[in-house]
Amino acid sequence: MTKRIFQASGSDGVSESIGFLLIFTLMMAGIGLVTLYGYPMLMQQQTSADEQIMEKNMIVLQNDVKSLAYKTVPYKETSLKIGGGVLTVYNSLHTPPSSTITIRDGSGAIVEDFKSGDLTYDSASTNTEVSLQNGAVVKRQNLGSVMLAEPRWFYDGQTKTMVINLVNLTSNGLMAKHGIGTVQMALGETRFDDHVPLNDIYIDYTYDPDRDYSTAWDNYFRNTLGMTQIPATEPLRTYKFPPTSRLVIKQYEVIIRSL
Amino acid sequence: MARLNDDAQWIVLMGFVVSFALFFIAILINQSTVVGQTTAEAVSEFPKTDIREVRGMIIRSEFLSDENDKTTVQREIRNLSLSRHNAVVNFSSNRPGGLDPYTYIEIHYNNGVTAYNETWRSE
Repeated sequence: MTKRIFQASGSDGVSESIGFLLIFTLMMAGIGLVTLYGYPMLMQQQTSADEQIMEKNMIVLQNDVKSLAYKTVPYKETSLKIGGGVLTVYNSLHTPPSSTITIRDGSGAIVEDFKSGDLTYDSASTNTEVSLQNGAVVKRQNLGSVMLAEPRWFYDGQTKTMVINLVNLTSNGLMAKHGIGTVQMALGETRFDDHVPLNDIYIDYTYDPDRDYSTAWDNYFRNTLGMTQIPATEPLRTYKFPPTSRLVIKQYEVIIRSL
Repeated sequence: MARLNDDAQWIVLMGFVVSFALFFIAILINQSTVVGQTTAEAVSEFPKTDIREVRGMIIRSEFLSDENDKTTVQREIRNLSLSRHNAVVNFSSNRPGGLDPYTYIEIHYNNGVTAYNETWRSE
């Protein structure tokens, strides 16, 4: 090695090649760490973002259903992006239904075997489902489920009136969508029943064990509406209404024209 | 690594500052969409005009001269608000009696999200 013509004082033993090697190793290690840990983390973040966006979309769709049902708007259309999963319409004729509801009092069944049908987002990578059913948005992961947005059922304590809104989704067969799409919904038939109940009123909720949203609905029935649970054999669950002198049941048919 | 010129280290520093700022802004944007959604929902859900309409109709119906018309109209108010507005409406009135020259109407409105109670007095 030729002696350097110019050398700063106090830099004896400093080697450029070792410096380069050090920096290069650091960079390589950085790139390696990012590809090994950073990238999967980013992907995971993406799926959870997709899920969150879909939860929001479901609430938007629920608002559409609300407008159709309670504000008597005839037609609604929403564009949305479905990422990381599939949005499927299981109409009310689909078997097995995710749940059936029977409402009965002393004189017999007022509503028998009501099947709501549902609009379900199924996440591809995680085992999560977000579903719009009976006017509520519920989320499920394996056996646990939670209600993200409640349906518009209510109990008016002053007049002891229970108002139940049942929303029935109908469509032309099974439809599914991935990517950007438009959900077109129209209001179909509506039914209005005004009952003076005989004795106590009970609601029988039967769920499909494969698509079990019972925890979410159980919480809603007991905590929000103030019902009490009566022992029954699963997958049937029976709840007793709080003292009710007037029972109003409204049934709406929401037609999903396309996805 | 002799004689490195480190005059431009502020560029690297700025890079860090900008990237951290972007990170926080991204978090804020992520949260804000949810907030906007719920606020907009709350505003659109509030049944201001519904309550006004029903309230006005109830007060007007109270002063119908024909007793039959009054019963019919008041029954229809209850039925229509339930079927169209999805709200339970109940009301009762106290006509002037004794020394009290006023008419009182107790109005109750509940649509599951908003409950409204009022005792209206004629003046």
